[in-house]
Amino acid sequence: MLEKNLRKLIAICFLLTYVLLGIPLWYKLTTIYRATLPIDYIESLHNDQYQDVHLVIPVYIKPDVYKFPDIHDAVQIQINHLLNSLKQKVPWSLQILPYDDTIDEKNHIINLELADFVGYNAAFDSKETTVYYDDKSVASNDLPFFIAQTLIEHTFHIEASELNEIEQPTPQTSISVAYTPNVHLSISLLSGDGLPIGWDIETTLKDYFSPFRELLSPVVNFTVDTSIIYYNDLNLHSLNSTSNITSTQLSHAMDLSELSSMNYFSESVALNLAIVFPSLERNPNGFEFINSPKNHSNWQSFVVPQWGVITINKYPLRKNSYLTESYLNPIMYQFAQDLFELLGLTNSLDDELLSPIITIDSFKRITILKNLEKATETLWSLVKLTKSFQQMAIPKEVLENVRKALELRLNIVEMLNDPKLGDDLVWSQALIMSNQLVEYCETAFFHGEMLKQNFFPQEHKVAVYLPLLGPLTIVTLMGVIKCFKENKLLAKLQEIDEDVSSTTIYNDDEKQDEKLIQGSESDEL
Amino acid sequence: MFKRNATCLIFTTLLLFSRICYGQESNYSIYKNDNTEQLEEFRNSNTTSEVESSSSTVITASEDGSFPEGIQEPPLDPSITIQEGLSYPFREKLYVKPLPNNDLLTSFQFKMNSEEFAPSISSLNYGQYNHFTVFPKAIESVLHRTDTRQLHLRFTRGFWDAETWGRLPHDGFKSGGNGVELWAIIEAESKDNAYSKWKTLANSLSGLFCASINFIDSSKTTYPVTSFQPDNDQGLPVFANSKNQLYLIRAALANEPICTENLTPFLKLLPTKGKSGISTFLDGHKVFDSSWHSLSVDVITNCDVNQDKCKYETDAVVDMVTHVPYSLARNKNPIPKPLPAEQLRCDTNKPYDAFQCFPLPESTETEFDLSQIFGKTIKGSSMMSDIPSHICAIITSKWDVSIKVNGELFGTDDNCFELDGMDEYDLYLASSDTSDVTTLNEEVPLHVSRSLTGYGQDHGGLRTVFQNPTPMPITAIYFESLPWYMRLYLSSLKLESIDSSNLQLEDVIDSVYYNSAIDHKRPSHLEYTITIPANTTLAISCQFDKALLHFADYPPDANHGFEIESAVITVIKPFKYQIRTETLLLSLSTPDFSMPYNVIIITSTVIGLIYGTLYNLLVKKVVRVEQADKLIEQQAGLKKKLVAVVLKLKSKVVDRIKQKKVINFYI
Repeated sequence: MLEKNLRKLIAICFLLTYVLLGIPLWYKLTTIYRATLPIDYIESLHNDQYQDVHLVIPVYIKPDVYKFPDIHDAVQIQINHLLNSLKQKVPWSLQILPYDDTIDEKNHIINLELADFVGYNAAFDSKETTVYYDDKSVASNDLPFFIAQTLIEHTFHIEASELNEIEQPTPQTSISVAYTPNVHLSISLLSGDGLPIGWDIETTLKDYFSPFRELLSPVVNFTVDTSIIYYNDLNLHSLNSTSNITSTQLSHAMDLSELSSMNYFSESVALNLAIVFPSLERNPNGFEFINSPKNHSNWQSFVVPQWGVITINKYPLRKNSYLTESYLNPIMYQFAQDLFELLGLTNSLDDELLSPIITIDSFKRITILKNLEKATETLWSLVKLTKSFQQMAIPKEVLENVRKALELRLNIVEMLNDPKLGDDLVWSQALIMSNQLVEYCETAFFHGEMLKQNFFPQEHKVAVYLPLLGPLTIVTLMGVIKCFKENKLLAKLQEIDEDVSSTTIYNDDEKQDEKLIQGSESDEL
Repeated sequence: MFKRNATCLIFTTLLLFSRICYGQESNYSIYKNDNTEQLEEFRNSNTTSEVESSSSTVITASEDGSFPEGIQEPPLDPSITIQEGLSYPFREKLYVKPLPNNDLLTSFQFKMNSEEFAPSISSLNYGQYNHFTVFPKAIESVLHRTDTRQLHLRFTRGFWDAETWGRLPHDGFKSGGNGVELWAIIEAESKDNAYSKWKTLANSLSGLFCASINFIDSSKTTYPVTSFQPDNDQGLPVFANSKNQLYLIRAALANEPICTENLTPFLKLLPTKGKSGISTFLDGHKVFDSSWHSLSVDVITNCDVNQDKCKYETDAVVDMVTHVPYSLARNKNPIPKPLPAEQLRCDTNKPYDAFQCFPLPESTETEFDLSQIFGKTIKGSSMMSDIPSHICAIITSKWDVSIKVNGELFGTDDNCFELDGMDEYDLYLASSDTSDVTTLNEEVPLHVSRSLTGYGQDHGGLRTVFQNPTPMPITAIYFESLPWYMRLYLSSLKLESIDSSNLQLEDVIDSVYYNSAIDHKRPSHLEYTITIPANTTLAISCQFDKALLHFADYPPDANHGFEIESAVITVIKPFKYQIRTETLLLSLSTPDFSMPYNVIIITSTVIGLIYGTLYNLLVKKVVRVEQADKLIEQQAGLKKKLVAVVLKLKSKVVDRIKQKKVINFYI
C-alpha cells in the first residue's frame, strides 16, 4: 500500500517541480527584461495633462500719487472674474500683490500714473506696464476693472490666447520648429556660378545680429556660421521660363539638399538664411519671376517652414561683387523678424512686437507648459510602445529616466504653482528644467536596447527549446497519468497474485496427493 | 556596397522614425513675406549714406568687362559694390606625368584654407561668428565637435608597381594602403575620452564620405608611437585647458571598396563643386577605371600661439594611374571587340600567317588629348582662387605637350599652363618614344613585400621581405597592426638574410614597441626601427596562431577570409618616404553555422533520454515476469482469449482423463 502511494507521490512531486519550478524558471531565464513603468500614473497624466498645474503669475501694483491700500484686492476680484469668464485649457491666474521696495524689476509691475486720460503703455525694455488714469476713473471706481483688462488683454495676451480655449482657435501653422534651447543658424550666400564675390557679413552681424542674440539669450542660444557657396542656385534656374510663380512651384523646384545634408552640428535644430543670386552665365537677365511691383528692391524673401528663409535676388552678381552692410541690413532685419516666427515666439508676422521682454517672458511660460505636455506625450508614447510590443525589452535605464522625468515634472509644477515665485530667474530656471525634462523623456524613449530585441520573436525561443521541453513534458505527464490509471491494474495484479498463489497451493496439494498416491501405491506393493 | 547601403538605410529609418514619433509636418511649402514695403523705407534710409561714404573706393560695375556682351545690363544696385582683386585661399594644380609601359600618372591637388578663428572664444558668445569661404563647412563642424587638430583620410585601391613606376607620388605621404585609412590627432582629457571622440569622428566621416568608416572600433584602433607623427609640433596647440592632451589615433579598413559614392562627396567639398577648374576632369567612371588610384584628405590646424589665431588647412589630392592604350581603346569601343586582322600588330620574326600572330609589344609612339582619357574637357579656371588653376606636365624631351584653348594649341617652355576665365581647356600630349620618362632617374629607397606562410587552419607565419636597392643604408620605421585573432609570437621574430648570411636580428632592428592584443578589444600593435644595409635583401618572419572566433564574430561571407591591413614603412633616413605593403587575406577555420542548433538539439535529446530513464525507474511499478505474462494474457485480444479458453478446456479434458485414469487405476 505504501509502495503504491510512494510512487504516486514521486510522480506528483516531479510534475509539481516541473510545472511550478521548472517552467517559471525557464521562462524567467529566457525572457526579456521588462522594467515596470508607472503606467497608471502616466496614463492619468496623459488623460488630464494639467491635473496638478495651476500657473500663478505674481503682479505687483505700484501707485504713484494716490495711495490705494486695497487696490490689489479689488483688481484681484476683477481679474478672477475675467479669467473665470474664459474657458481655461490650462488653469492659470494672476496674483495681484502690493508693491514694496524689496520687489525688483524682474517681476511684472504695474505702474499707476495720474494723467489727463485713461490708457496704458508697455515698456520696451522691461516687464513694467504703465496704466494712466484720471481722477474721474478713480471716482467712478473704474480703475480696478481697467487694470484687470489691461493685464489680461495686453500684458498677458499671449497667455490669454494660448492657455484659454478660444472659440476660434488660431490656425496651427507648421512653420515653427520644435523648441530647443540651442539653435544653429547657417547664413549662406549662394551664387549660381564661380565668380569671386564677397560680403560684409562680419560687421553686419556684429552690428545687427549680436544684440538680437543677446535679447533672445534667455530663451534660445544661437551659434552662427556664414558661408559663401558657389555653383548653387538651389536649382532655381529651372523656373526661369515662368514669369510668375506660385509658392508650390517654387517649393517643387527648389533643391535644398546640399545646404541641409552636409552639416553635422551638435545642435539638434538648425535654421538657415540663404541669399541666392542667379548665375550670370545661365540667367544673364536674372530671374524673371522676381518682380515685386510694390517696392523697388531686387529681391524677394520666402519662409520655408522649419528650415529658414530664402532671399532670392533678381539679378546675377558680376565678378568681384561685394555686398555692403547697407545691402545686408534689410535682409537681416527681415530674417530676424522671420526668426521669431520660425522659433515659434509669435504666431504670425502681423503680430507687432511692442514689448519684446514681456513677449519673451510669456514665451518662456508657454514653452514650459508645452514642454510639460511634450514630455507627458513622449512618456505616453513610450507606454503605448511597450504595451504594443510585448517582446520588447525595457532596460533599467529607461525606468530610471522615466522616474527622473516624473520627479522633475513635479518640481517644475511646484515652481509654476507657487504664487510668490515670478521673476525672470524663476522662469528661466523652470525653462531649463523643462528642457531637461524633455531630454530625459526622449532618452527614455529612444533607448537603443529597446527595439533591438524586438526582432527575436517568441516562436524562436519555443522552437529552440522544443527538443528539450517536448520529451520532458510527455515523460512527466504520461508518468503521472499512468500512475493514476494503475489502480485497476493493481487490482488485476492482485487478482493474478491471488490466482497464482491459489494455483500454487492447489499444485502443492496435488503434489501431496500424488505423493500420497505414490506412497499408498508403494504400500500396496 | 551592402554595408554602405545599410548605413544609409539606418539613417533614413531613424529620421523617419523620429518624424513619425513627433508627428511633425515637414512639407516645405513656402510662405511669402508681404511686409517688404516697410522694409524698403528702412533700407533706403540706410543706403544713401552708406554709398556716399564709400564711393571713393567703389569702382562701378560698368567698368568691369566680365558682363556678357549683347545683353542689356541689369540696373545697378548701389549697395552692391565692386572690389577688384577679390579672391580666396583656394589653389588647384594638375600634374601629368608619363610612366613607363604607356602608363600615365595624373595628380589633382587642391588646397583650401579656412578663415582665421580664435579658439578661445566660445561659439555661443554673442559676437562670435564662424565664416566660411572656400573651406568646407562640413569638415569644420566635424573637427570642432570632436576636438580634432589633424585629420588624415586615405582611400586607395590598386597596386603601385614600384619596380616599374618608381617612387610613389608625394613620396608616398598622400596614399594609403588598399582600402580606407584614417588617422587623427585629437585633444582630450583622457584616452577613453579621446577614443569616444574618435568614434564620433569616424561615424561623422562615414556619413560625410558615404564610406564604411563607421566600422572602425576599438579592435581596429591603434595609438602609433613613432609612425604617423605630425611634421610641425609647434603648430599643435591645446585649445581647452592645459590638462588636455593630444592623442594620435589610427585605424584602417583593409580592402574596403572605393567607389563613385566616395568621389562625389569629395568633389562637393571643393568650392568649385567639380563645375569649373581642373576638378571638371574628375568623373567617377574614369577615376575608378584606372589601375591605381588614391584619394586623400589632410586637414591640419595651424596656429599662431601668440595672437590666439588659428586656421585650418586642407590638402585634398586625387592621384591615379591610367594605362593610356587601354583608355583610348575603351574610349573608341566602349564594348571591347576583337581587332580586325589588318590592325593587329604581329611580330613578323615569328611564324605569322592568317591564322597565327605573335603580338608585338605596345607601340612606343603615342598622341592623345587628356579629354580622351577623362571623357571631358576642363571648363575654365577656379575663379575665386588667389592663384589661377595650374596644369603641369613632367616630361622628357621626347615628349611634346601643348594646351588646347577653345580648340587652339599653345605651348610653353616649362610645360606649365595657367588657366584663366571660362574657356574650354584640354591638354595635348604626343611622344615618339613613350619609354623615355622622367621616373627612370628616380630611385626607390626600399621595396617591401609581406606574405603569409604556412598551411593549415591552426597556425601560420608572416614574412616581410625588405629590399634595399640603393648603395646606402636605409633606416625606416615599420608599423603593423594585426587583428586580435592573429596571436603573434614575438619570440619567434627572426631574420633571414638572403644576401649576406652573417646579419643578426639585433644588427638591423633598433627599438621595438609591441602592444599585445586583447580579444575583441585591441589589435596587436608592432612598431620597430629597422636599418637595412646597402644593396641588401633581408626577410623578417614571425609565427602566429589562428584563434577560433565566436559564432557571432564571423562576417556574412566567412569563407572569403579576413582582410589584414597593410604594414606601413616610413623611411626616415636618408630622406623621408613612405610605403605600404599589400593587404593580406587570412583564412580562418570556418564552422558549420547550423552547429549551434544541432548542439542544442542533441543536448536536449540526451537530457530528455536520461531524464526519461531515471523518471521511469522511480515511478514505474515493477512486477515479476509471471505476473506480467498473466497480465498480458488478461489484457490480450479476443483471439488470445479464445486460445486461452481452448487451452482451459483442453486442460480440463486432460484433467478428466487423468482422473478417469486414476479411477481406472483404482478400479
